[in-house]
Amino acid sequence: MTRCRPSLRALLASSLFILTPMAAHAADATLNVLTWCDHEDPSLLAPFEKAHNVKVHFKDIDSTGAALAVIGQSQPGDWDVLVLDETDTPRLAEMGLLAPLDPTAFPTADFFPGIDSPKLSSFNGKTYAVPEKFGYNTVAYNSTVLSAAAMSDIQAPWKAEYKDRIAIYDYYVPIVAYTALALGKNPATLSDADLPAIRTKLSELRHNAALVGDVTTTQQALATGQVDILVGGGEWVTAGMAKDRPNLTYLIPTQGGVRWQQGLAVFAGSQKKDLAVAFAQYILTPEAQGKLATSSCYWGMPANSKAVLKDEDKKLLQWDMQPSYIARTATYLQMTPAFDKTLQKLWTEVMQNE
Amino acid sequence: MSEVTVRKTPDGMKGFLFTLPALAWLATFFAAPLLAMIVISLRDSATGQIGIGNFTRIFMEKSYESALLNSVALTATVTVASLLLAYPLAYSIVTVLSRRMQRVALTFAVLPFWTSYVVRSYAWLLVLAPTGFLNRLLLALGLIHTHLRLAYTPTATEIGFVHFFIMLDTLTIYASLVQINPRLALAARDLGASSLRTFLTVTLPLSVPGIAVGAFLTIVLCLGDYVTPQILGGMRAIVLPQTVMMQIQKHLDLPMASAMSLVLTLIMALAYLGLRRFLDAGERSR
Amino acid sequence: MNILSLRRALSWKGLGLLYMLACYGFIFLPVIVLVLFSFQDGRLPVPPFHGPTLFWYGEVLANSRLVAAMGNSFLVGVGSSLLSLVLGFLAAYGLARYRLRGRSLIRGFLVLPMAVSYLIVGMGLLVMASWAHIAPSLWLVGISHVVINMPLAFALCAAQFSETQARIEMAAGDLGASLPRILLQVTVPMMAPTLIAAFILCFTLSWDEFLSAFLLSRFEITLPVAIWGILRGGLNPQTNAIGSLVFFGVVALALIAEALLFRKKKNSA
Repeated sequence: MTRCRPSLRALLASSLFILTPMAAHAADATLNVLTWCDHEDPSLLAPFEKAHNVKVHFKDIDSTGAALAVIGQSQPGDWDVLVLDETDTPRLAEMGLLAPLDPTAFPTADFFPGIDSPKLSSFNGKTYAVPEKFGYNTVAYNSTVLSAAAMSDIQAPWKAEYKDRIAIYDYYVPIVAYTALALGKNPATLSDADLPAIRTKLSELRHNAALVGDVTTTQQALATGQVDILVGGGEWVTAGMAKDRPNLTYLIPTQGGVRWQQGLAVFAGSQKKDLAVAFAQYILTPEAQGKLATSSCYWGMPANSKAVLKDEDKKLLQWDMQPSYIARTATYLQMTPAFDKTLQKLWTEVMQNE
Repeated sequence: MSEVTVRKTPDGMKGFLFTLPALAWLATFFAAPLLAMIVISLRDSATGQIGIGNFTRIFMEKSYESALLNSVALTATVTVASLLLAYPLAYSIVTVLSRRMQRVALTFAVLPFWTSYVVRSYAWLLVLAPTGFLNRLLLALGLIHTHLRLAYTPTATEIGFVHFFIMLDTLTIYASLVQINPRLALAARDLGASSLRTFLTVTLPLSVPGIAVGAFLTIVLCLGDYVTPQILGGMRAIVLPQTVMMQIQKHLDLPMASAMSLVLTLIMALAYLGLRRFLDAGERSR
Repeated sequence: MNILSLRRALSWKGLGLLYMLACYGFIFLPVIVLVLFSFQDGRLPVPPFHGPTLFWYGEVLANSRLVAAMGNSFLVGVGSSLLSLVLGFLAAYGLARYRLRGRSLIRGFLVLPMAVSYLIVGMGLLVMASWAHIAPSLWLVGISHVVINMPLAFALCAAQFSETQARIEMAAGDLGASLPRILLQVTVPMMAPTLIAAFILCFTLSWDEFLSAFLLSRFEITLPVAIWGILRGGLNPQTNAIGSLVFFGVVALALIAEALLFRKKKNSA
C-alpha cells in the first residue's frame, strides 16, 4: 500500500515543475501571425526572430473564412499580421480590419510583372496588402498515363473517359472560376444569372470525379494513383513531391486557368505595426522568398523575381513559363458577402449530393 | 452492516460540500455553456431574428437534412456491424482461451487504441489506397482483378469506425460474458438444451448489458466524431459534425453550429432513452 | 467425453481461434502500416516501401512545434487529470459516506457529460468564451478536458467505495484523526490502485482528445492538433513517425502501469 504514496507525490511534484515554463513563455516579445501553413518552417522564421529578438506565434488558417472565424473569437490587437488570399483584401479593408501600407516600403519593382495589382491589394485608393507568393489552380496530372496535349483542353476533366480518375480540390472559389472558364464565361463578371449553368457544369464534374478533398486528401490520391487528374491542382501540390513522384506535373489549359495570390497585410488593431511591417519586408527579401517558395507545407512561386532558388527548384516551379502563365490566368473572384454565401451554398449542395 | 448505515451521519450538508466542487465545475463549464448554446441557437445569424429558424432549416434544407440522415445511417451501420463482429471475438476469447491468455488477448485487442486517433484514421488511408496494402494483398491472392476503390468513400469511414468500435465492444461484451456463471450454461445443457439453444436462451440474454453499453458508447462517439469522416470519407455522404465544423470555420455561423450540435445531443439522448432499460439492467446486476 | 464431441469441440475451438486471428489481423493492420512507413526512405509514406531510415524520427524530434505540442499535451493531460481526479474523488466520497438528499439527481448530473460528445462540450465552451471575450488558450482546453474526464474519475471512484473502507475510516476517526487526515492517510492509500488507474485513463483520453482542443486552442496547441496541422499540409512521413513514437511511448507507459498495479495486487493478496 504505502509504496504508492511516493509515486503520487512525485507525480504532483513533476506536474508543478512542468507548469512553470508556461508562465515564463508568455514574457517574450511576440508577433502574432494568422497564416496559411507555408509560413511555419523554423528555417524561414528563425532569421527574423533572431534579428528582432521576437517570437513569431502563428495560427493555421486554410481560407479567408477560417481567418475571419479566428478574428471573430479575438480581441482587436490580438493579431499583427495576416496572410490572405489577396482577392479578399478590399473586403477585409472595408470591414476595418486592415491597416494601410506604404507600397514604397516594399520591393515592388522586383515583383513578377502583372502580379502587383491595385484591384487586388487596395481599397479606396489605399494599399492594404502586398503580394508575396502565387501559383495556379488548374490541372495537376499523372504524366505517365496522360499526355500534356490531352490535358491542355480545359474540358478534359469533364470527359467520360476519365470518369473516377479525377479528384477535385475542395475550395469553391477557384473551382467555380475554373468551371466558369470551361463554360467560356469571364470569371470576373460572374453574377446570379450565371449560376444555373455553373451548377449544371459543376454537377457534371462532381459526377465524373472520384473524390473531393482538402490538400492532403487530393495529394495522397494523386500520389497513390487513386486518381490521375486533380482539378484545382498546380505547383502547390506537385512541386513538393517531385523528388518522389517526378511523373506528377501541372499545366495551364489553352483556354486559361485560375491564379491564386497570397498577400501580406497588417491588422488595424495591431499594437506592433512597425514590427509587423518589418515582418512583411523580411518575407519579401530574396532569401526568405526562396524559403517560402519551397516551404515544407506547399510550394509556390515567389512574388519577388529575385528570390534565391536553386535551378532545379526553379524548373519544378516552371519558372520560365511564368510570364505566359500570368497572362493567361485570372485571379480569384472578388465577391460581395451575399454572392459569396450563395456560392458556398451552391458548392456544398453540388459536392455533397452527387 | 446496519451499524455502519446508522453511523453514516445524516449530516447532508457536509456531504454536499464534498460534491460541491464537482457540481460547481460542471455547472460553470458544462451546463452554462450548454444553456448559452441553446440561447444563441435561437438567433438567425443573417437577420438577427429570434426564433427556431435554424432548427427548421436543419430539417428543411436538403444539404443539412442529408447530413443528418447520413449521420444517423452511418451510426446505425457502424453500431450493428461492430457488435456483430465484436461479439464472436469476445465469445471466442472467453470460451477458447485460458484465463491467463484471456488477459493477454484483451491487452492485445486494445493496443491499437493507443495510437493517436487522428493518426489512426490517416493510417487507414495508407491501407485502403489503390496501391495500398489491402489492394495489393487481395490482388496477389487473386481475389480481385482491379483495384478496389476504398479510400475516400463512405465505406472507408465505416471501416475506420468499425475498427475502433470492435476494440471497444469486445471489452464491454467480454466484461459481461466473463461474469456469467458457467454453471448456468452447463445446467441448461444437462437439461437437454442444444448448444445453440443454450446460447440463445442463457448466454446471450445475460450478456445484454455488455452489448448495450458498447452500443451506447458507439452511438455517442460515432455521432459526434469529425476526424474519421473528414479524413477517410472524401467529402461524400457528409455527416453532421462536418457541417458543424463548416459552420464554425467557413460560414462563421455559431448560432447554426449550436443548433446542429443540439440536434446531435438530442439524438444521443434518444439513444440513451432507447437503451436505458438495458443499461440499467447492467447497473443493477453489479 | 467421447471422440465425436471431442472433435466437435476441437473444431469449434479451431474456428474460434481462426476468427480471433482474423480480427487481430484487422485490428493491427493500420498500426503495422503506420509504423512500417515511418521508416520510409522518401517524402511519401505510401507504397512501395523504399527501405528503412530513421530520418523522419530525427525530423520529428527537430520539429520544435511538434515537441512543444507534446509538452503542451503532457501539461494539459497531467493538469486536467489531476483536477478531474480530485473533484471526482471528493464527489464520490461525499455521495458514498453521507446521506444526501437528491443523491440520484446529483449522481446523474455528475455523469451527464459522458453521454454527450466532445464536440458539444467544446462547442459550448467556444460559444461561452466568445460571448465573454475570452481568447482561446490551453487553459480552456484543460477546462474542457476536466469536464470530459471528471465524470469518468467520479464513476470509477464511486464504484470502489466499500463498507469495509468506511469502517476503517471510522476506526481512524474514533482514534481521533481529523477528517482531512483520514482522507489523506487512510482513504487515499486504500483507493490508490483505483486512483492511479483513473489517472492513467483520464490522461490517455486527454492526451488523445482532438475536437475540443482544436476548437479551444490558439498558439499553444496540443499534439493531436499539431498532427492535424501537418496532415492538412499534405503527405508527410513525419506524421507516421510521430504516430509511431506516441504509440510506442504509450504502450510502454501502459505496460509499466500494468506491471505496477499487477504487482500491487499480488502483494496485497
